[in-house]
Amino acid sequence: MFSKRTLQSLRDVFHRSLLPKIGLICLLLVVVSGIFAPVLAPHDPTAQNSDISNQPPVMVSQDVTEETVELDGLEQEVTQETVTKTGTLAYPLGTDPLGRDILSRIIYGARVSLVVGIVSTLLAFMLGTAFGLTSGYYGGWVDDLFMRLIEVRLSIPGLVLAIAIIGIFGSLPIPVPDPFVSLGITPDMPETTVIPGAITLVIAVFSWDHFARVARGEALSLRSQNYVQAAKASGASSWAIIRRHLYPNALTPVMVLATIRVASAIILESVLSFLGFSGVTLSWGFDIAFGREYMGTAWWVALFPGLAIVVAVIGVNLMGDWLRDALDPDVDAGGAVE
Amino acid sequence: MVSGRYLVKRFVHGILVVWGAITLIFVLRHISPGSPINVMTPPTASPELRERVAEELGLNQPIYVQYLDYLGGVLTGDLGNSYVRGAPVSQLLIDRAPATIELAIAATVIALIIAIPLGVISATNRDEPLDYGASLASLLGISTPNFWLGLMLIMVVSVQIGFFPTSGRGTGFVAAVQLLVFEMDAGGFVTWFQHIILPAITLGTYFMALITRLTRSEMLEELEQEYVQVCRAKGLPEPLVLYKHALRNSMLPVVTVVGLQVGYLIGGSIVVEVVFSWPGVGNLIIDALTNSDWMIIQGYLILVSVSWVTVNFFVDVTYTVLDPTVSLE
Repeated sequence: MFSKRTLQSLRDVFHRSLLPKIGLICLLLVVVSGIFAPVLAPHDPTAQNSDISNQPPVMVSQDVTEETVELDGLEQEVTQETVTKTGTLAYPLGTDPLGRDILSRIIYGARVSLVVGIVSTLLAFMLGTAFGLTSGYYGGWVDDLFMRLIEVRLSIPGLVLAIAIIGIFGSLPIPVPDPFVSLGITPDMPETTVIPGAITLVIAVFSWDHFARVARGEALSLRSQNYVQAAKASGASSWAIIRRHLYPNALTPVMVLATIRVASAIILESVLSFLGFSGVTLSWGFDIAFGREYMGTAWWVALFPGLAIVVAVIGVNLMGDWLRDALDPDVDAGGAVE
Repeated sequence: MVSGRYLVKRFVHGILVVWGAITLIFVLRHISPGSPINVMTPPTASPELRERVAEELGLNQPIYVQYLDYLGGVLTGDLGNSYVRGAPVSQLLIDRAPATIELAIAATVIALIIAIPLGVISATNRDEPLDYGASLASLLGISTPNFWLGLMLIMVVSVQIGFFPTSGRGTGFVAAVQLLVFEMDAGGFVTWFQHIILPAITLGTYFMALITRLTRSEMLEELEQEYVQVCRAKGLPEPLVLYKHALRNSMLPVVTVVGLQVGYLIGGSIVVEVVFSWPGVGNLIIDALTNSDWMIIQGYLILVSVSWVTVNFFVDVTYTVLDPTVSLE
């Protein structure tokens, strides 16, 4: 996929600067957590246990006010007591008010972010590149119509339309069986990981235009090149020219764009999960929404999933910077959440 | 400069885009499952009642009649009535819009006044600690989801330190200014500031990071140009070289990005409004989605599309003013 010279340039940039190394570490952390979640997680992320609720992270002591509701006949008796709790190594990042282990939830949450980020970007990449190359190659009214369509799409911000569409059509959660559990390696862990299907599709549909615009620009500048003209004159079909000549040349800038879009997809997913549109109950955004209610006492519940998002997005962004510095295509680096 | 013919062309173009968006919204409504009749009538409603509601809403008309009615309504500013609240959607949106616009402007202002000097400082101190610091800050800004940043600000600044209120709007900007001008009372202004500062920082951080990065890279490019050497050679003071010449030329891409990021501000404001219980349009739309109040969702999408087109129209015009050599014909 990459030429020798490109690989050399990637290596040079990697050795010269500290940032790509940091990025790679961040990204590996997230990818490894996501893939091996059932092996790495110390506890079942969904297991509730009221005996160990609201435990602060290790080395931290915190006064926690707890409410116990007791039924005395028909009377409800609510007692509040303040207890000082100290974190233990068994739950290094603490537990939430339902007694679930935060670290395990974060490790599992990586799965949702990764799958949504990668799948939605791949879909957008295929859709956008195909449209963009075709439009740029043919030019004329096809291109005009196409550009107007993109503008209509741009005039409604992605997040807004995503919320509207998911709000109307539903969130389509897809349970995916966990291979580690089906193979019996970690029988105590949850059997499925739920992926927010609608979010993945919607993010793909609303980031394809970024790919389309870049691919179109490449096609426009390439189609008048001599070798393309020569291929045309020798009777190559349009499809063959697009596939064999335009696509490989457009690939570099599109790849750089793809890394940036993965970062924005991860952020978009967390926003939509936070707002409650994902239909999943185990993801970083969802956990932040849950922790929001307890910020006054159990601050760690909302803090750590957010840090996980920052680490993941920094990792992807630094990878993008690395690719851009090494391959030097003319791509706008901006634009996370539209 | 800006020619009249260009303005007209650009205007017609904008209208076409809005029409496309309005049509898209109509199509969305009609392929969506769930009928508005279910929202407006109890589950036990008789078929006659459902029939009557359908008639009232015009749902039993042929689809093209519904479309034309809808277009006509939009043209006259009639966005229909909310299914749930009963009030006209346009009124609901107008009541809520100032809060959102205020928040978006405050966020943009905060972003610009910090980002542009930071970008310049970063570029002029290239590869020095200041530059690394600014670059690191903007990397963090780009990588932090705004809703989480907002929650952390509430937790640290409002709850722990007790500086600013955790939610709400306090008073509007216009009301605060009126109080200041007519009654010489700055109290309203203080309340306004205390309420808006955290949401505005939350909404503006990503924007700020983006513009810092952009200003830095554009400035670096400009500083290598020959005219900068000439300015320095003829003895112009450095601030003049930087701010009057190099920065001005760096601002073109920044203006474009500000225009394109209006979409981000609109989308982001929904999230920030939810986090800070800000009484703007964003909270209205979330309510409408929970209640399946399609009329509000539709009206909101139209408003958003019109705002986007309008802002980008002005961005294009600004572009020609900033750089007379740009021809947009």
